[in-house]
Amino acid sequence: MKDLFRNSYFIILLISLLIASIGILSIYSSTYQKEGKFWQEISRRQILWVFIGVLVFIIFSNLNYRWLWDCTYFLYTMALFFLFLVFMLGQVRLGAQRWFKIGWFNFQPSEFVKLIILIFLSRYFSKKSTDDISLLCAKFGIFRAIILPFLFIIVPMGFIIEQPDLGSGMMIFFLFICLLYFTGVRLRYIFVFLSASFLAMPLLWHFLRDYQRERLLVFLNPNIDPLGAGYTVIQSKIAIGSGSLLGRGWLSGTQSQLHFLPESHTDFIFATFAEQWGLAGSIILLALYYLLIRQGILIARKTSDCFGRLLAFGISFLLAIQIFINIAMNLGLAPVVGLPLPLMSYGGSSTLATFIALGILVSIDKRRAVF
Amino acid sequence: MSRIKIVNLLIICTFLFLGLSIVNLQIIQGKKFKTLSDKNCIRIMSQEGCRGKIFDREGLPIVDNELSYDLMLLPQDKREFDKVLLAVSKVLGTTQKNLKDTLKKSFVASSLPVAIAKNIDLKKAIALEELKSDFPNIIIQPRPIRHYPYGSLASHVIGYLSEIDHWRLTKLQDYGYNTKDIVGFGGIEEKYDYYLRQDEGGLLFEVDHRGKFIRVLGFRAPHNGKNMQLTLSLKAQKIVEQCLADKKGAVILMDPYSGEIIAMASFPNFNPSVFTGKLTPSITNLFNNPDAPLINRAISGTYPAGSIFKLIVATAGLETGKINSSTTFLCRGSIFVGKQEFACWDTHNYQDIIAAIAHSCNVFFYKSGLLLGAQTIHDFSLRFNLSKPIPFELPYEASGFVPSPLWKKIYKFKNWFDGDTVNFSIGQGDLLVTPLQMARVTAVFANSGYLVTPYLVKGLDQRDISNHQRKIVNLHLKPRTLNYISQGLRNAVLDPKGTGHVLSGLSISVAGKTGTAQVSHGQPHSWFTGFFPYKNPKYVICVFLENGGPGYYACVVAKQIIEQMANEGLI
Repeated sequence: MKDLFRNSYFIILLISLLIASIGILSIYSSTYQKEGKFWQEISRRQILWVFIGVLVFIIFSNLNYRWLWDCTYFLYTMALFFLFLVFMLGQVRLGAQRWFKIGWFNFQPSEFVKLIILIFLSRYFSKKSTDDISLLCAKFGIFRAIILPFLFIIVPMGFIIEQPDLGSGMMIFFLFICLLYFTGVRLRYIFVFLSASFLAMPLLWHFLRDYQRERLLVFLNPNIDPLGAGYTVIQSKIAIGSGSLLGRGWLSGTQSQLHFLPESHTDFIFATFAEQWGLAGSIILLALYYLLIRQGILIARKTSDCFGRLLAFGISFLLAIQIFINIAMNLGLAPVVGLPLPLMSYGGSSTLATFIALGILVSIDKRRAVF
Repeated sequence: MSRIKIVNLLIICTFLFLGLSIVNLQIIQGKKFKTLSDKNCIRIMSQEGCRGKIFDREGLPIVDNELSYDLMLLPQDKREFDKVLLAVSKVLGTTQKNLKDTLKKSFVASSLPVAIAKNIDLKKAIALEELKSDFPNIIIQPRPIRHYPYGSLASHVIGYLSEIDHWRLTKLQDYGYNTKDIVGFGGIEEKYDYYLRQDEGGLLFEVDHRGKFIRVLGFRAPHNGKNMQLTLSLKAQKIVEQCLADKKGAVILMDPYSGEIIAMASFPNFNPSVFTGKLTPSITNLFNNPDAPLINRAISGTYPAGSIFKLIVATAGLETGKINSSTTFLCRGSIFVGKQEFACWDTHNYQDIIAAIAHSCNVFFYKSGLLLGAQTIHDFSLRFNLSKPIPFELPYEASGFVPSPLWKKIYKFKNWFDGDTVNFSIGQGDLLVTPLQMARVTAVFANSGYLVTPYLVKGLDQRDISNHQRKIVNLHLKPRTLNYISQGLRNAVLDPKGTGHVLSGLSISVAGKTGTAQVSHGQPHSWFTGFFPYKNPKYVICVFLENGGPGYYACVVAKQIIEQMANEGLI
């Protein structure tokens, strides 16, 4: 039994299943009252996704993650291909072209692209030899350390921002910075890079869609347009705030039940949850997420293989930053960008991608002893 | 590896940050968001009751209510706004931008209907109601508003309605008043607001994000305010206002036995219906007008009494025995007090008390005043309740002022001289009275010695409360005193040389006293106070014209009033 709790495989599966069940409960509570077949089925579909997710998790955790090294370029090409496909014939939903249909499944490639870019970067910054634990980057100049990988990244990032999905685009950017930091690129370079990006921001402002600018402005002051762009943030804050200590109880809570809160089963699922379960529930959820991320970091620290370690860090960080941005956005502390809350939000792509990432994490932990 | 430790720490910090933010939102600001959440989904459909109506003594309405319509909009579906506002603006004849601005300004929450146009007339309301089939988020809310069938008639007695101000709110909050409540300002509307005001009822229900009804949470029936019956007579009030029109001043008609106010007018006046709209230029004009049309001169204006004060000096002289029926003084047109000459307005030769009142001889009263002394006159003035509020039923009643030697010493650091007494005894100097106080003084001579308390409200919601209102004090004056003075008052009209001789031509026997009160600037104030018919007085009349010239002009106004009242069969 004691071994069981030391076993990362078991812990990660347990925590992720717990969070996923909480998510399913919240999705059910926010949709069961809506009319229409689609809404009635939505929680069952999420159960199916979690089920598939767990299968994928088991498969990936039993695979040797090193094969990812071998097919990195293939994956990268696939990512570009899919993004291009979305760009050409994706479905327009909620004002964005992020999905395309495979059978009954709305496939959202950007969720997977994040992971692929992570793998790509991990490979770029590590050596093939598993014995050599020294990092490459210490010797890299600024071109090889930053500019070259950035050029690789900017293509998929551009596609994603063009969809438009500013959230995922920014995610990839953050991920890049983070991996730069982990791989030991000189701080000086990172600093130069960050300042350059900072200076480029006014330029980027130019390329943003109107609604994205609006959202950023609304983030600064949600009351400038309480009926329009600020509406969601205000409603979300009201939902969370009215939860108080113990919440309003499952299936009650007027904000989510009477549909004042838009996107209450996807991006704003945290608000739905917090309204119903209050501070107690929210803190428990945060704790679960933290334990999950901590597992990732523990695995990374134990791994001597460069590729594996970077990958494990990357995955933990990917989760952490998504969770952070999503919850902060629910609390009105971050601009509203379309980022799902991993494992909680409804969505097949996101759920699968997260389970795959967790599977890889466990796989890294398992293979560690081999080398 | 230090970088990893730093990142690890960073992650812990971000989670702590999130946790604390949640605590802040749910616990520290929890109450606020709870109410906001309730505001979102709980909607009140208010049903207003009617404010109490105000009737005259015969039961004719002076003020009642009529329905007006408000246009409300549910601000939920933002995309439809432009279309809705465009359609609405066409009906209302305003611009779409105007409506949009109002909407933005008065927006509270997405689920609360916003009033974007108020006081729409019936035709437009019907036209808007028809739009409802295309735009379901339009609400036409009927709302009773004050209706003034006679415009500005009795405006000072009635008062007007407006949104509660900060000062009143702080005072009335404990009695269930809220911001944006409509309350009475001035007059009966203010004094009896608590009775007149309606109790808002409403339906409390839960709605979803589209404003769709989910379930009823509660209901409260609205209550109408209590109706009031005043002692005013619409007929008399109309006559009085007609005769006073365009002159600055006040007229009071009062029942001498009960103190019922039959008519009370003050000019310039205002139209209270101006206040039912929003803050329009005409309201600002009312407040900025130097003639102060919002002031009720009958109770809030204090003026020197002039010769009508001689009634009190005469009473004091006869009561104290300093003068009697055989006392005569010689009037040579003026007397010298010290080195100063005090003039009479004519040369009257020998005058007794009755003639002196009839001719309003100053010299007679100078001399009586000197005999009596200022303190005695002051004391008698207080017996007639001068220098104090009555207290009357309308707000902002002034108390007036009666000077005394002691007051002069204490507040002005000056001695009281005989010259002051002389001035005082003809109602000049520092003396200040309100027209209502003088009407009350006159009533004493009409009802043989009783000081009545004027009142306005006769009934409250069908119940006659006049018995509670009547407060009558016996002044214990000698019958002789009253007799001489009323004879003097009658002679003022009968005697061809009497000051009120204009009134002698009437079919009604009138008794009264004129007054010409000198003021430091401009024309003197013109007074007439009296009662009629002489034998069985039914009315006390007090006419006051601010800077209206000699007392003669007040007499003319009184004459017109009495004439018309006789024509209307009111006497």
